[in-house]
Amino acid sequence: MRAHGVIALLIANSLALASLLIMLSSGLALIYGLRDVINFGHGALYMLGAYLGYSIALIGGFWTALVVSPLLLALLGIAFEYLVLRPLRGRSHIEVALVTLGLGIILGQALIFVYGGEARGVDAPPALAGSVRMFGLSYPLYRIFLIAMGLGSCTALALWLRFSTSGLYVRAVSQDPSVARMMGVNADRLSLLVTSLSAAFAGVAGVLAGPYLSVDPGMDVTMIVNCLIIVVIGGTGSIAGAIIAALLFGFVQVAGSVFLPDLAALAPYVLLFVVLLIAPRGIGRGRAPA
Amino acid sequence: MSGGTTTRVDARGGSLFAGSASVRALVYVALAALLFGFGAIAPTHLASEFVLRIGAGGLLLGMLALSVAFLMSQAGLVVLGAASVYGGVGYLFAIAMSKWDLSPTAALLFAFCTVIAYAAVLGALIVRTNPLAFMMLTLAAGEMISHSVMLEGLRDYTSGADGLVVTFKGAVFGMTAADFANATQFWPIAWSAAWILGFAAFAVRRSRFGAILRAIQENEERMRFSGFGTYLPRLAAFVFVNAIADVCGLLHVLNSGFVSPESLGLSVSTNALVAALVGGVANSTGPIAGGVLFAFAQDQFGAHGFTQLLTGLAVVVFIVLLPRGVIGGLIEGARRRSVLSSKRRRTA
Repeated sequence: MRAHGVIALLIANSLALASLLIMLSSGLALIYGLRDVINFGHGALYMLGAYLGYSIALIGGFWTALVVSPLLLALLGIAFEYLVLRPLRGRSHIEVALVTLGLGIILGQALIFVYGGEARGVDAPPALAGSVRMFGLSYPLYRIFLIAMGLGSCTALALWLRFSTSGLYVRAVSQDPSVARMMGVNADRLSLLVTSLSAAFAGVAGVLAGPYLSVDPGMDVTMIVNCLIIVVIGGTGSIAGAIIAALLFGFVQVAGSVFLPDLAALAPYVLLFVVLLIAPRGIGRGRAPA
Repeated sequence: MSGGTTTRVDARGGSLFAGSASVRALVYVALAALLFGFGAIAPTHLASEFVLRIGAGGLLLGMLALSVAFLMSQAGLVVLGAASVYGGVGYLFAIAMSKWDLSPTAALLFAFCTVIAYAAVLGALIVRTNPLAFMMLTLAAGEMISHSVMLEGLRDYTSGADGLVVTFKGAVFGMTAADFANATQFWPIAWSAAWILGFAAFAVRRSRFGAILRAIQENEERMRFSGFGTYLPRLAAFVFVNAIADVCGLLHVLNSGFVSPESLGLSVSTNALVAALVGGVANSTGPIAGGVLFAFAQDQFGAHGFTQLLTGLAVVVFIVLLPRGVIGGLIEGARRRSVLSSKRRRTA
């Protein structure tokens, strides 16, 4: 294979991985911006999305799963806002983060209890099963779909934040919560929106992960650790930072597995500590916690 | 504040030991020594080997919880990667003996010091960040260590998912491998270690250093304005708690004679966190007692395969409903009762 073919594959594969990571880590960054809370249970939401997607796809097919699973997750996000984030508003952020960690463990264990410990494979829908030839290379169609979904949601998020009123409010609260509240922004209502949105995104990512990765009991921990690394690299709470960090992360991960397969598992951590050494606050302009 | 002083005078006047403070201190020391001696010897005669084994495991978990609790209460930082030190030191100990032919004692020292050096480097990088990022980073670092033992390139050293059997010839501190594995002989060691580490944490808490740590936690900016460095104390605290986890991991590997990727897993870290929350993080007794409680609870629930579910539930319940933990709650309750009763006495 020619050199530029390898590079094109590398970029395509890292974009595919980054697509999932963007959906998850931008959700984390959004909640952090509004509530100063890192949701350690986000990995479990993603896992729930994947298992729900698996079950629904068995009954109604992949496309139904891609719609229904995120909707169910959004409902769970609303419950999370009302039952966890609001009652614990007065607690320290660390305590709330620990509660989300505990809830994540409970959810993960419940899923293992229901579905058992073995990994499950999900087939790509027939329309996306083949591969296409692009630039003289054959590439799985499903991954192209994944990249399109990732970039699409990324663009939609950016447009929403940039041009809608609620997006403006979200940015305002993320930048300075007290001033935004003084100007009459209802942070609770925004938080409801953002929490359900980021849970729904976790659902989308979970369903999309099915045919790409596998659906297995360890997927929540793997994913939350990756997302936390991305959020830290991106600068805690910075959404643009998280997106850039996710792209960087995807590239390092994929390039690592091509060029240094023996050490690929460590590549993200090396990236993390290199970034921390250079920029302790991450690459984006995150806000220091109140 | 005068109310507090009166209370103390009243309490002392009404107490059994009406003498001077030094007499009282002597009595406390004697009581502690008695408790220590009783706890070290009595269980080895009274309890079954099975119970002793769980108890010692609980003490080890408790010491690990102590390291988590100390940093949580003194610096406001939560460590989610305690397992990487706990299991990592075991791996180093095993590898130093089998691959580099170090004597057991030398391997022990090597493993201990390497982990301390690792903690210092890691701490230097991550204590600068905010508490939430710190928590995420310790989780990431822990996962990094547990991934690295599974690396194909290190398989010759770590045996991947199979883990390593850790045996040694000769003696460490006068004890052979068989002695460490014996529940009756190991219990007094774990018990003494828990006391020593507990007192070390207590002493550091009460020292000027502890006060500086708490002041930084309260308001870092104020401390910087007052001319205190805020970086080195936190780094030192991070290294200190890792030293506790380090000792704990060595005791674990000496006792079990085996290290595996499970000992590095996130569940060990979260169990330590739960033990700390169950006991309450504010003192040394709480986390250690929490560890023992947790170990026995785990034994009950573990049979049904719900250990991790128990961990998750405990985190939520203890943070939401019992933020001081069982032991902390009891101490708080007792204190409130004694204040109430002394108030009642005063009004009477």
